[in-house]
Amino acid sequence: MLLPKLEYLAPKTIEELTGFIEAHQGKAKILAGGTDIIPNMLSNLYKVDYLIDIGGVEELRDISYEAGKGLLIGAGAKLKTIEMSSVVQEKYPALQKAAGEIGSPQIRAMATLGGNTCNASPAADTPPALVSLGAGVVIAGKKGKREMLLEDFIQGNRMIDLKPDEYLEKFVIPDVTPNSACRFDLITLRAGVEIDIASIGVYICLDDSKVIKDARITMGSVAPVPLRASETEQLLIGRELNEDLMDKAAEMCASEAKPIDDIRASAAYRKHLIKVLTARTIKETHKAIELSSGTGSNR
Amino acid sequence: MSEITKEFSVLGKSIPRVNGADKVRGKIQFAEDLSFPGMVYGKLKLADVVHAKIIKIDTSKAEALPGVLAVITGKDTPKAYNIMHYQATEHPLANGKVRYYGEPVAAVAAINKKIATHAVTLIEVEYEELPFIIDPLKSLAQDEIRIHEEFKNNLHLDDVQSFGDVEKAFNDSHLVLEENYYTNGVHNAFIENHCAIADFNLENGKLILHTNIQLPNNTQRILSDVLDMELSQIRVKAPFIGGAFGGKTEPTPLSIVACVLSKKTGRPVKIASTRKETFYINKGRHPSYVKLKMGFKEDGTITAADVDYIIDGGAHSSWGMIIMWFSAALMHLPYKIPNIYFHGRRVFTNRPSFGAQRGVGGVQARVPVECLLDAAAQKLGKSAIELRMQNAVESGYQTKAATQVRHSEFKKCLEAIREKSGFDQKHGKLPMGRGIGVAAGHYSTGGAYLLFNSFRPHSTANIKVDPEAGITVFTGITDIGQGARTVVKQMAAEMFGVTVNDVNLFCQDTMMCPFDNGTYDSRVTYGVGHAVKNACLAAIEKLTDFVAAGMRLAPHHMICKNGQIVSKFNPKKTIPFKKAVEMYLSSVGSLYATGEYTPPQPSAKYPGGLIGPSPAFGFSAQAVEVDVDMDTGHVKIVNYWEAGDCGKVLNPMSVEGQVEGGISMGIGQCLFEDVAVSENGIPLNPNFHEYCIPGIMDMPEIDGECVESYDPTSAFGSKEIGEGPLVVVPPVFLNAVSDAIGVRMTKLPLKPETILKALGKI
Amino acid sequence: MKQVIELNVNGMNYEVAVDPQDLLIDVIRESIGLTGTKKGCGEGDCCSCSVIIDGDLVLSCITLAIACQGKKILTIESIEEKDGKLDPIQQAYVEKGAVQCGFCTPGMIMATKALLDENPNPTRDEIKRGLSGNLCRCTGYIKIADAVEHAAEQLQKRSEN
Repeated sequence: MLLPKLEYLAPKTIEELTGFIEAHQGKAKILAGGTDIIPNMLSNLYKVDYLIDIGGVEELRDISYEAGKGLLIGAGAKLKTIEMSSVVQEKYPALQKAAGEIGSPQIRAMATLGGNTCNASPAADTPPALVSLGAGVVIAGKKGKREMLLEDFIQGNRMIDLKPDEYLEKFVIPDVTPNSACRFDLITLRAGVEIDIASIGVYICLDDSKVIKDARITMGSVAPVPLRASETEQLLIGRELNEDLMDKAAEMCASEAKPIDDIRASAAYRKHLIKVLTARTIKETHKAIELSSGTGSNR
Repeated sequence: MSEITKEFSVLGKSIPRVNGADKVRGKIQFAEDLSFPGMVYGKLKLADVVHAKIIKIDTSKAEALPGVLAVITGKDTPKAYNIMHYQATEHPLANGKVRYYGEPVAAVAAINKKIATHAVTLIEVEYEELPFIIDPLKSLAQDEIRIHEEFKNNLHLDDVQSFGDVEKAFNDSHLVLEENYYTNGVHNAFIENHCAIADFNLENGKLILHTNIQLPNNTQRILSDVLDMELSQIRVKAPFIGGAFGGKTEPTPLSIVACVLSKKTGRPVKIASTRKETFYINKGRHPSYVKLKMGFKEDGTITAADVDYIIDGGAHSSWGMIIMWFSAALMHLPYKIPNIYFHGRRVFTNRPSFGAQRGVGGVQARVPVECLLDAAAQKLGKSAIELRMQNAVESGYQTKAATQVRHSEFKKCLEAIREKSGFDQKHGKLPMGRGIGVAAGHYSTGGAYLLFNSFRPHSTANIKVDPEAGITVFTGITDIGQGARTVVKQMAAEMFGVTVNDVNLFCQDTMMCPFDNGTYDSRVTYGVGHAVKNACLAAIEKLTDFVAAGMRLAPHHMICKNGQIVSKFNPKKTIPFKKAVEMYLSSVGSLYATGEYTPPQPSAKYPGGLIGPSPAFGFSAQAVEVDVDMDTGHVKIVNYWEAGDCGKVLNPMSVEGQVEGGISMGIGQCLFEDVAVSENGIPLNPNFHEYCIPGIMDMPEIDGECVESYDPTSAFGSKEIGEGPLVVVPPVFLNAVSDAIGVRMTKLPLKPETILKALGKI
Repeated sequence: MKQVIELNVNGMNYEVAVDPQDLLIDVIRESIGLTGTKKGCGEGDCCSCSVIIDGDLVLSCITLAIACQGKKILTIESIEEKDGKLDPIQQAYVEKGAVQCGFCTPGMIMATKALLDENPNPTRDEIKRGLSGNLCRCTGYIKIADAVEHAAEQLQKRSEN
């Protein structure tokens, strides 16, 4: 298989990058790991005149954590780097799991966090985890920067809120807080490399009397975008977790999912899996809070 | 080698692959690695319609593109072909009509891949779309949509085999069970795509085709037919082959197209398929719809089987007839069934064709029989293994179809499985969600059927012994990864009393090698083994006669051992092998010998009677213990046991590789794989992203063994191993999951969703 | 427009003329002539085309050649020992029966090399995870896992000496 004709641009600095984007807006796409864009172009899903490779822009690969502020991850950071990052392992296990479950080791060594978001595949692994973590994104362009929540940035199947003269610069993930945890889980057909049939990110924060103060539940592969289960979240908030509530939450979450039938699974099966995943992941998240209560770590 | 003790010095050892070192260096050349001076590139244009008349093909724009050397269409490939010498329905490029999405309709040759790829997009095809049909059961129930004009109701085949009196037997039975089974369509999914390089010589009119093909001689025969060339003008060479599994038996459209383009351009033309193209043009295992009815006596003895068998053939005839009759034949073993009625049908549909895949006809036969036996055991209150044991065939059994089972250690396999899996203590007694299943099967060691319209020997081996090359064996085998080269070298080394490294092997070239029926149906080690042994014996006899005369000893007292020719009775009477050869060449002349093999020919006359009888059968029994996630339906393999009868094990490591590889392919069919076509007739998963074959994380560890066995009819005691283990895998899982969830599973694949549906959870 | 670029493959610099859209695998196989790297799917699903670039195991079938300038690319042809003998990983694959048709083998060995470079003493599960992307249709993988275990032992022994 051969790629169609294109021009390749390799900026080394942010300035060069913004220059290229501005010069070729509408005709260019950012090339990060290439693990989605190249296969997509090989199967003629879209055609571009310019690929702007951000692999040489070092700033975009930074991962930094600051207590009180949270975690910053450059859009060009590789999934493997994220999976192996000690701060991610220690404080953001949901992200570690999501990054570690994508594709093969080869794909993880190539693919970037920004690419996984900007490709905006409904079956992507990291967005549901990031949305539940409350992640925001910083979008940059010649005219300046703007910030928004990741869940607002992803607008549909392969649609993101990025203007032709902009690029995704980084992810901003809030710091961990005491009495809270976030977990991610997914179900695939077979072990190892495969596309999800369904996935879920669950964030729960308890108050001192163990009542749920805040919750963010995000479903993957059951809608064009990572889908917040807002009704389920409302059901949970203000209540103490017990078996009955968990069952109700699981049922409600499944009813909020909007899956489709496709070759990988039927809509009915996906809804069922959301129910199972919700119950399992809420339980796991809750357990994580109990285990770490008071320490504020192991979010 | 001593036949009496059956003890070998080179055979029976885990000799690594003879080309292993070159393979791990990336040094061996597969078809796509080859290039030739002046080589150009071909590309197929595939249809983007499902069923349509071709009204017009405009090639002018493609022809006008600089760098394009030739553009051809169905007009340039007027003759249809098939794997057999009859029932040809397929044209290398569709002739007037497209019958499946992805069928090649035109092709180009250009000076490089980029231009060729671009040029096919410039070919404009005008279609008149026709209504299409993709469900085989609907296809045969109507006649408005006819895929091939000559086949009414799209019935490619519709025939019956009847042995005994099934109705009477059912009436006399204590228990009669009937069930519908479905087995899925799967793909060979070898990792190496199809590739062909055709090199037509304009001066002498000869053609060389380099392609990854299992049956070079058969390909040569088909080329001679479709290209209207003398057989002797065509030479087919197969380079190293990156997996085949039956899927590289038929010449691909691209290989024939490469020949046509090479004739047209006078240049070597290479065409390699992309993975997607491979999924379109490769022919995997037929989906089957089988209604099976079986009767039993109160003690569990099987009385009769009535089989209503329908397979979906897709668009073309392919191996269809052989698949159907193979399934029919496989019904007669490994259990004694005194009355069998088999009604088989193969139906054309508008989807990519199905053909041959490892274990041809076997999955479609084993699933119904093994699953129904399980249900019967439950009804009869018997152990599922005991029921099998009770009906199992032994050496000397003759099936109702008059097939001789000359050697069987099948019962040992069942016993070994019962023993090590603890089946009887577990079956029906494990907690909900945990289950154990057993199944068994057999497979033929090469058929009695020659794919050619001829009665010549199925296999021939030629041997040349000289100081220039040592011992060189010429055979028509093809090594498709299964280790044929290694085992043939082991055989010759064993016979001559030398090491594997002392033997050269020349194969995969129709000009240099003797004719061979080809690599399929697990026939190489047995059939070619006989030919190699006979050739070796003939060469050795010449040498030992000569040496014995010089030493004044009896020729039959001389043996080849450790690089010497030595008297069996007096080890001091010895001469180095190489010295003996030199003396022979000077005194007598060249040292050549030949050996042949043709399997016993079937005597019974009934439809399909040539297909199925085999000189030997391998057997396999398996059990699997699974955990079913009752919430998600996922199947986790806890333990896997296998016991096989492959006769004498000629290379333990190779045999294990066949068993493990076969089980892996079986697991893929059971749990993940399914060739899917949309309602619009478009293939849904023509890539490894959506068509999931097992990865390393999906494979369990396997507790396998070969039971003590030696088939005296075999050249070296060995029998089939490459296919039998695979065909047992699907029923073993169906039975295990049935045990785990308390619902009888009868359809493949066992996707988590299917299991949850069976449980009524979705 | 074709451009002449320099690629460092197996320690040697090669000048090759490429179009910007040319994929690394095609350049390695066709322009440079190292055909050990295999294309099984051409879309990043089978990992037969695995190569190591600057220490990372990546897929050459979905990597632009032009993006590899200034990087160190290792292919299967670089694995053997300096004296031309088989590397312990290659030796283990042959001895343990992990090679059948041999088509997936180069990618499999590159994945093994990357795994053992990072984790010289992997558990069976870590081996499986490390090779989880590499498809093989012949072996059933058991002997591949055996070979990786054996290679790890041999490499450990060597580093101890």
